[in-house]
Amino acid sequence: MKNTLVRLATVATLSGTLAVTSALVSSMLVSSALADAPKSGGTLIAAMGTNVRNLNPAVQSGIVTGFPGSQLFAAPLRYDEDWTPQPYLAESWDISDDGLTVTLNLVKNAVFHDGEPVTSEDVAFSVDVIKEHHPFKSMFAPVESVDTPDEHTAILNLSQPHPALMLAMSGQLMAIIPKHIYGDGEDPKTHPRNTENVIGSGPFKLTEYKSGEHVILERFDDFFIEGRPYLDKMVLRIIPDPAARTIALESGEVDFAAFEVAPQNINRLKEVEGLTVTSEGYGAIGPIDWLALNTTRGPLQDKRVRQAIAYAVDKNFIHKAIQRGTAKDAPTGIHPDSPFHNPDVEKYEVDLDKANALLDEAGHEAGADGTRFGLTIDFGWGELKPNAEYVRGALKKVGIDVTVRASADFPTWAKRMGDMDYDMSWDTVFNWGDPVIGVHRTYLSSNIGKGVWSNTQGYSNERVDELLDMASKEPDADKRKALYTEFQQIVADEVPVYFSNTLPYHTVYSDKVGNPPLGIWSTSSPMDMTYLK
Amino acid sequence: MSKLKPPISGQLEEEFKAQSPMMEVWSMFCRNITAMIGLVIVLIVLFAAIFGPTLYPGDPFEMVWAPFSRPGEEGYLLGTDYLGRDLTTLLVHGARVSILIGLSAALLTVLIGITVGAVAGYYKGWVEELLMRITEFFQVLPTLLFSMVIVALFGASLPMITFAIGVVSWPPVARVTRAEFLRIRELEYVTAARASGVSNFKIIFRTILPNALPPIIVQAALMVGSAILFEAGLSFLGLTDPNVVSWGQIIGSNRQYILDSSYTVTIPGLAIFITVLAISLVGDGLNDALNPKLRKR
Repeated sequence: MKNTLVRLATVATLSGTLAVTSALVSSMLVSSALADAPKSGGTLIAAMGTNVRNLNPAVQSGIVTGFPGSQLFAAPLRYDEDWTPQPYLAESWDISDDGLTVTLNLVKNAVFHDGEPVTSEDVAFSVDVIKEHHPFKSMFAPVESVDTPDEHTAILNLSQPHPALMLAMSGQLMAIIPKHIYGDGEDPKTHPRNTENVIGSGPFKLTEYKSGEHVILERFDDFFIEGRPYLDKMVLRIIPDPAARTIALESGEVDFAAFEVAPQNINRLKEVEGLTVTSEGYGAIGPIDWLALNTTRGPLQDKRVRQAIAYAVDKNFIHKAIQRGTAKDAPTGIHPDSPFHNPDVEKYEVDLDKANALLDEAGHEAGADGTRFGLTIDFGWGELKPNAEYVRGALKKVGIDVTVRASADFPTWAKRMGDMDYDMSWDTVFNWGDPVIGVHRTYLSSNIGKGVWSNTQGYSNERVDELLDMASKEPDADKRKALYTEFQQIVADEVPVYFSNTLPYHTVYSDKVGNPPLGIWSTSSPMDMTYLK
Repeated sequence: MSKLKPPISGQLEEEFKAQSPMMEVWSMFCRNITAMIGLVIVLIVLFAAIFGPTLYPGDPFEMVWAPFSRPGEEGYLLGTDYLGRDLTTLLVHGARVSILIGLSAALLTVLIGITVGAVAGYYKGWVEELLMRITEFFQVLPTLLFSMVIVALFGASLPMITFAIGVVSWPPVARVTRAEFLRIRELEYVTAARASGVSNFKIIFRTILPNALPPIIVQAALMVGSAILFEAGLSFLGLTDPNVVSWGQIIGSNRQYILDSSYTVTIPGLAIFITVLAISLVGDGLNDALNPKLRKR
């Protein structure tokens, strides 16, 4: 039982669908260089909405681990806000012409918090650990081996070109963990050093971790980038209640929070003087709210029925009334901030006549009471309940009688999804940087029914499988984009998923905070450039 | 009782004689102003629960107007909630469910409580020991937590919620019943009944139970109030059937908007508060009216 819970909790963080979290970090922006030159010193108080149980991002996915994890551990690369890779632990890198070897040249002066140097051995070890223990298997699956010709050179040998590797080497996805600590034979997944005396090579070292209360981080003086980080200390306070977090931000008790998601609180905080509220910085996290449709049973097997549902749901209502203008439209499964996003697809503007016509055509004539057939609708967590209730009302208008099913807790829902025991369900799924990591899993027919956040729709389309396979090894960015463009059109036409909106993640910070993390990885990136004015 | 009173005047004596015991309780009850206020409120809520859905027909979940229009604005008496549903309609339809759950859970509680208490109090000995240990077992379980477990395991349908409430709240009734039975079973008329060969079943339910009822009735009345609160608590935590409105569910689903639209939570909250208060007042009034010791005052 306990194992199941632990596993499910892991899965929960896996797609980072934990509804709210908060954090702070550094933007990749070289700061505005104007009046506010960054200055050193000070303690940043940040709020997190969910308790963190594991500080090691090499074995634990999710934005909750990503915040402290990206401060404690450095990755080979970091990204600027234009999706361009920048040197971090790797001062330079080289991809061979055939795309089959990637060479990383590590910085020479990087040391772990305990003083041991960071070497290519640690990189090779980290790749092994992540391959084996991280839930995102597609990140390093094509990496066959890592050669370490010298201390500062690591060569990744690939079985096929793997363009997703660049993003997979950034943010929280490729934490370089010390071999001399995690290589002691204990299971890295449950290693005691994942929560106490955590040693990485990131800009901050761990001072204190109290589950359910706070994580306190302190400046690492021997950090490999000269003069960084600017902050002396970061206190990540865990405040699970969104209203309490809102009040803490209003009163100035907390200076920074990321992953704020409740529209009413976001709008309220926007009115507060001295606070900046922005939705920038979540492009690579890429969270999308959608209505999953189980294409393997009942009337939903028919594409026309799924299209009718899409026409009957008024996206405007969701955007305006439920998300209250805080979220962006998401017409496809690739986040609108991603370079691979294709906005030119069928958007399913609300059209009840069309919906009715499609349902008639599919042979579901309305009965005497106006009802055609019944469906159930689930929702993953409380924040999506209004969406489920709305869909019940919206589909009633076209004669579909919807019953809302509540789940007693997250594992109950996750099991229903994993077993594909549902008709429709609201869900939030993250892109996680490259589509190979977070997008393919939802549509590949080889990934049907592999637990929550797999292809739980039972969707199967040969052309889609082919396109995704080609895209996963296409090194040329433009050609890749073309493949994803076609893929998004097919999916929009077949509606295995009704895409609604981006999850309105917002970062809130006070005027005191300079250079908050507004790059593509939000707080799942190092905050060495953040400072206090 | 009236015979014990010294005859103050012939007329008054006549008056007392003319009243049946039920009427006597009723007149005692009527003299209690707070209890009468409670009764009036309870009747109003019952009226709303029974006839409300006729006055406000249609699906309470229908989205009728823009979300969060304030009470009184746009012609919606109590405003609309986060999906633009009419709060008045929700409240009236919710009354039915809340009252229904309150009554049926209280009934279940009383049935279990009386059965266990009566058997324990009548038979005594090892039967009593066993039943009372079971009662204590249920009494020490944290009630809300236990009912949450039941609902989480077996699903959040109305019958299951009623069952969950009933199953965790019967111990007090059982203990009161047992105490009454222990007292009454030693009285002469019970001994007489037993001596004349009346069956145990008849003695329990025909001879003793009617005389043990007054405190149980009071307990049951209070139980209705606490069952409503219980249901509200479960719904607030989301352990409820989302296809049925109840007051607690309205609060639970609107609570994330409490900072800027507090009326969506306050109004159903007040409805619960006033109803439960009224039921408590009625229970208190019944207690005063049924308790002979107080009546002598």
